[in-house]
Amino acid sequence: MSSLTHFDLLPLQIDPQSKAISATTPSRALEAELANLNSLHRALLSLETPHGIPPPPVPVNPKRSANVAKLRDSGNGEFRKSRFPEAINFYTLGLKMALQRPQWEPNQLIREEVASLYANRAQAHMALTQWAEGAVDAEASVEARRVGNAKAWWRRGRCLVEMGRLEEARDWVRRALGMEGEEGELVALLRDIEARIAKKEEKA
Amino acid sequence: MGFSIPQIDWLSLALPVAYLFVLGGSLYTFSTIYRKRKAAQSANLAPWFGPHLQRDIYLSLLHLDQRDDEQGKEKKEASPRIPDSVIRAALLRRAVEDIHRLVQIRTAKQACSALLQKGSVGDDLWQRFQRAEKELEDELRDVVMEANALAPNWGQIIFQSANEIAANTTLREKLDNIQEQTEAEKAWWEKRRAAIQADFMRELDEGDSKDGKSVSASTAPSSVDGEPDAVVVGAAGKKKKGKKN
Repeated sequence: MSSLTHFDLLPLQIDPQSKAISATTPSRALEAELANLNSLHRALLSLETPHGIPPPPVPVNPKRSANVAKLRDSGNGEFRKSRFPEAINFYTLGLKMALQRPQWEPNQLIREEVASLYANRAQAHMALTQWAEGAVDAEASVEARRVGNAKAWWRRGRCLVEMGRLEEARDWVRRALGMEGEEGELVALLRDIEARIAKKEEKA
Repeated sequence: MGFSIPQIDWLSLALPVAYLFVLGGSLYTFSTIYRKRKAAQSANLAPWFGPHLQRDIYLSLLHLDQRDDEQGKEKKEASPRIPDSVIRAALLRRAVEDIHRLVQIRTAKQACSALLQKGSVGDDLWQRFQRAEKELEDELRDVVMEANALAPNWGQIIFQSANEIAANTTLREKLDNIQEQTEAEKAWWEKRRAAIQADFMRELDEGDSKDGKSVSASTAPSSVDGEPDAVVVGAAGKKKKGKKN
């Protein structure tokens, strides 16, 4: 029969104080979903909209964006003064702030913010020759924004080269070129990688 | 001019009439039985999606509320009323799951119809698909109605919010997955670097014991330490470019 006319009654109960919903006979999927529900409920309670419903995605409350931008600028300032660990701290704070944005706010905005913060943190890690962290951050940045993010693509490629993972770097940069088109720096990096691979094969 | 009404020969007419009756009757029975079987068959088809957990939770909560009302006031302390905010959150979760399903249906639709045209999949898969599509449509309409009942005009924006929630959740999951690799990558690189350094030292030692010739070869590993400066300069140059945007 049509699923609209029936549903499975679940054994639910509510905690009088915290208003948290829990199951009397828990199963894993149900537990996970109820955890999601309760956290969403808490987020909804902090809203100040008239009916306690999330506002439409646009326009966005500018407060958080301003905070994120401020943290990023502080990080950039520290970076320019070559105080890289401090810069990393600022970027990390900014990331935390950006990722804690309420879920119903536009994901495009979060992507933009997170992409630039990860890319900058990757850069700071690279300045400290922490290639592993740099590679991971650059990959995260690319995940958040694939196109128009040539710097992050380049940074991961560079980090992989520094760690001696040449084949991986070559594949990565080729993918980058597919995404970004013939970006000068990426082309140069690919040429560099291919030269290194050739040299290594010669040696072997 | 007078027409003489022709005598109707009822007896010889009975045969064709009976024939027509039998024909129509058998066609009718065939079609009803066939349709019934078909309906039973499609009802037995496995549903496209699994159980809708979020919907079950939402309806269970509503039900919990009603049951309490029916059971009278003295039980009110034992099981408190479900606050509206919880109901709203549950409805929003339900809308998010609907968005996931909508995305699945949309991506599956093209592939499914293409496969059906080629004959790669059977008719019942297509039937299951169409039923799922229709059910989802009804489900979406239902959610909009419920939303409008909970807050004025919420129906117009609930799916926008749900869409963003769905997209944000997937983005965060992906980012978390990537960031989780950090520790493993770091450990790997520490080990690798130690190995490279050990190699380098050994090469140096060998070079000292034989002659100074292998020093030129040893510059290759040292580039790991020598290059960063160049990178920082290049990176700093790039950085300025980045600041503009």
